[in-house]
Amino acid sequence: FRFKDSLAEELQSADLVISHAGAGSCLETLEKGKPLIVVINDKLMDNHQLELAKQLHRDGYVLYCNCSTLVEMLQSMNLSALKPFPPGQPEKFASFLDKVFGLQ
Amino acid sequence: TGGHTTEILRLLSCLSESYSPRHYVLADSDKMSEAKIRYFEQKRAETFSESQFSLDRIPRSREVRQSWISSVVTTLYSILYSLPLTYKRKPDLILCNGPGTCVPVCLSAFLLGLLRIKRTTIVYVESICRVETLSLSGKILYYFSDYFIVQWPDLKKKYPKSVYLGRIV
Repeated sequence: FRFKDSLAEELQSADLVISHAGAGSCLETLEKGKPLIVVINDKLMDNHQLELAKQLHRDGYVLYCNCSTLVEMLQSMNLSALKPFPPGQPEKFASFLDKVFGLQ
Repeated sequence: TGGHTTEILRLLSCLSESYSPRHYVLADSDKMSEAKIRYFEQKRAETFSESQFSLDRIPRSREVRQSWISSVVTTLYSILYSLPLTYKRKPDLILCNGPGTCVPVCLSAFLLGLLRIKRTTIVYVESICRVETLSLSGKILYYFSDYFIVQWPDLKKKYPKSVYLGRIV
């Protein structure tokens, strides 16, 4: 199971996902509408990965803890408080580029 | 590489066929992106039959956590390597989102612009992962790009010349 090409199938059938703070993992999970708990590795402090996880938590999309508090979180978590994650809008980017090149 | 490729393909997803042909530039050590790109282009060809694209590889300019001094040397080497490629393709637009690979390509295009050989529009989109700080590529290309796009409002505040369109991937 080490490095599968895609976890899409597993994600689809999961009820809860517990993951590290990697952007790909977080976003893929949120886009599938699955509740997510992000576990931060305290020992990797200098890690810009945390920026996204923290922001997603601030915005109410994910729960957030570290290894030692995970068990407690699983016991006390309220998944229904999590907000649904709206998709990104690449069409805004396309629109922007079209304006730049006078293609509208 | 990996996450960058996924993000950039999403950025391309809504572009019209005016943005054609597409020339993808990859690091020589990148094993996974080629498959993702080919899949994307294959899907695209189902809708736009005249769709054209190409793939080029350049030496990776910097390994993760490579030392500062050796990074300068390898980046210079990559810029020299990129020059003939950029000269050959003479792109109207370079779109990139942060892997080390993009710095030499953009700088080579910038150089060709200074030499009045080809004026390329450089559009940099910082990764969605970057909420509060820019990547190293971003910090460099903030000064060399024509349009620098960020996806979180904190970055727009810190880098006022950037463009904020919200989350676009």
